[in-house]
Amino acid sequence: MEMIIFIALSLLLAVAPLLAKSERAVHLIAGGFFLTQVASIALIIGFRHIDEVMLYIFRADTLAVLFHILMTAVLGFTLIHSSSYLKAENVTLNSYKTYYTLLMLLAIAITCVYYSDNVAMTWVFLELTTICSAGIIYHREFKQSLEATWKYIFVCSTGIAMAYLGILLLSTVAEHGALDYNALKEVIANGNPLYLKVAFLLMVVGYSCKMEIFPLYTVGIDANYAAPAPASAFISTALVNAGFVSIFRIYDLYAATGEVFIWARHTLILIGILSLAVGAMFLRRTNNYKRFLSYSTVENMGIVAIGMGIGGVALWAAVLHVICHTFVKSSMFFHVGIMRHIYDSYSINRIGNYMSINRVGAIGFIIGTLVLLAFPPSPLFISEIMIFSEIISVGSWWLLIAMLILMCVVIYAIWSRTLRLGYHYNQDELHLSEVNRRLSYSATLLIVVAIAIGIWMPEVLRNAIDVIVNIG
Amino acid sequence: MILSLIILYVLTLIYLSIADRFRNHTTILAIQGLLLFGIAMARLHEYHPVEMSFIIAETLIFKAIVIPAILMRVIRMTKINRIHSSSSQFGALVMSIIALIASCTITYYMADNRTDMIFFGVALYALLSGLILIVMRKRIFAHLVGFLVIENGVFLFSMAIGVELPMLINLAIMLDILISILILGMFLRRMDNDIHTDETDALTSIKD
Repeated sequence: MEMIIFIALSLLLAVAPLLAKSERAVHLIAGGFFLTQVASIALIIGFRHIDEVMLYIFRADTLAVLFHILMTAVLGFTLIHSSSYLKAENVTLNSYKTYYTLLMLLAIAITCVYYSDNVAMTWVFLELTTICSAGIIYHREFKQSLEATWKYIFVCSTGIAMAYLGILLLSTVAEHGALDYNALKEVIANGNPLYLKVAFLLMVVGYSCKMEIFPLYTVGIDANYAAPAPASAFISTALVNAGFVSIFRIYDLYAATGEVFIWARHTLILIGILSLAVGAMFLRRTNNYKRFLSYSTVENMGIVAIGMGIGGVALWAAVLHVICHTFVKSSMFFHVGIMRHIYDSYSINRIGNYMSINRVGAIGFIIGTLVLLAFPPSPLFISEIMIFSEIISVGSWWLLIAMLILMCVVIYAIWSRTLRLGYHYNQDELHLSEVNRRLSYSATLLIVVAIAIGIWMPEVLRNAIDVIVNIG
Repeated sequence: MILSLIILYVLTLIYLSIADRFRNHTTILAIQGLLLFGIAMARLHEYHPVEMSFIIAETLIFKAIVIPAILMRVIRMTKINRIHSSSSQFGALVMSIIALIASCTITYYMADNRTDMIFFGVALYALLSGLILIVMRKRIFAHLVGFLVIENGVFLFSMAIGVELPMLINLAIMLDILISILILGMFLRRMDNDIHTDETDALTSIKD
């Protein structure tokens, strides 16, 4: 019942901006939407609905609730930053209303992915996120955004059609068409190993367009490039997490398959190392800060895939990595959005001297970079060390060496670009305002949260990750 | 009965590889929708009104009428006519035959006693045909056709493994695909209007 009320109310609030007469009314509705998310989380936790099946297709397990909390946190900041971003762009009221509506619809679709307890419904909601994202990517309505939108819809739809094939193959083990994860987990060991392997490959390849890992990572890069910066922050965290949750649930399912699970983990390691390599290579090449951050997402999700592939402690670390990446990456995208206000550009080669122009923003961006590069007390330092130690304990030295080499390239690429932004001379015209300073503070707040997790990890978070990784 | 419909379906896929007019592509997709309707009905073991109405909605209404109508509208609006003149029909036919042989070989090694080998092979061939269309053709419209051929292949695939998903899920999947097609068609028209192109070669303005 609660789930029906939550979805109905969220949908109502999501479409309400279309009837709004002013920007202020849109803000109020967006605020209401945010509070609805908070209230639903409070309801699930407060009334102990954890692990309850709702509406036959949803289950509020720890994984879903944790990622719903993360999404809501990022959503709050996204709504605030979007308002400033759109005002600076001087968009029409209609465009303003459409943007907020699509953002909220995307948030609903992502929430449904997190809570979905059925392998086919996860697919349906992931496809829905493609449709909602498309409108946001096209929001700026310039030539490149049209191109990015087309590629995004087309590649995601084709990729997700492949994932559907995987689901069909997986369903050969289902009894009476029951595709909920728990029912499948009980019978998956009886499946044809070849079918299960092909199914896993198809599903991971299909969902890779959402998690922004090899091979379909490209559409996510283009989407982040074309979308407004605050929406990019949301897409490259909440939506990427939706991809992660979908793949994690499949991974959890396959844990019961024995030999096939070992093969699946090797596949994830291969995908992870290829993603890391792609990230390292293109971080050096790109000349756009948004694409730059997107390649960093590919690199980080590559590390996560490797962690999942290694298993054990590395799996625990992979979940922690995704959680902390959400805070850091969203913050970095918000900072880049503020930079766009100031420079009216994302060009790495042209903009600079940020330390003198917006000291708060520059310090926030530099600290964010250090956290992203996993320098202590970054929580990513903890997760990466845990992954490395597990790799050493299983004796995969080739993997460790490959990862270290690629991560050195990543550190050089990211750090040199950050220093360039902070201290290199600027070639672009400036558009300074007091709003930028306030927004810089708010964006930096997310990095502070990430650092706080690195220094003092709350017991509740530790326990939640323990529950999530308790598979098999 | 089913076998003859399946053979006709294979013929439509071969013809699709050499057809150069988009109107023909659209007609073939409509025919495929009709054939899928025939195959699905012939496989129904007993009269089941809900299942039957769903098959009618998905194949006859959706695949054979609505989608081709949307594509015809896009063709009229954008005035696109045929695939690129430089595209080789012979090369496409050779690729299609190779895909057919590959599908038969893979089916021989993969299919087990729970799957229908003929359906499995043809579904695989449909998937490969869709991918070949996407990879070999330059026009965006051909890519859209390729995507729909893949979707039809997925439908056949579900019949090959005899999976019966709950109605709610089937409905959600069908609506999802319909919305995707509508949005793809809308953006194709927008591309034609805004950047005056319907070729993938022109979609290279985003780069590092």
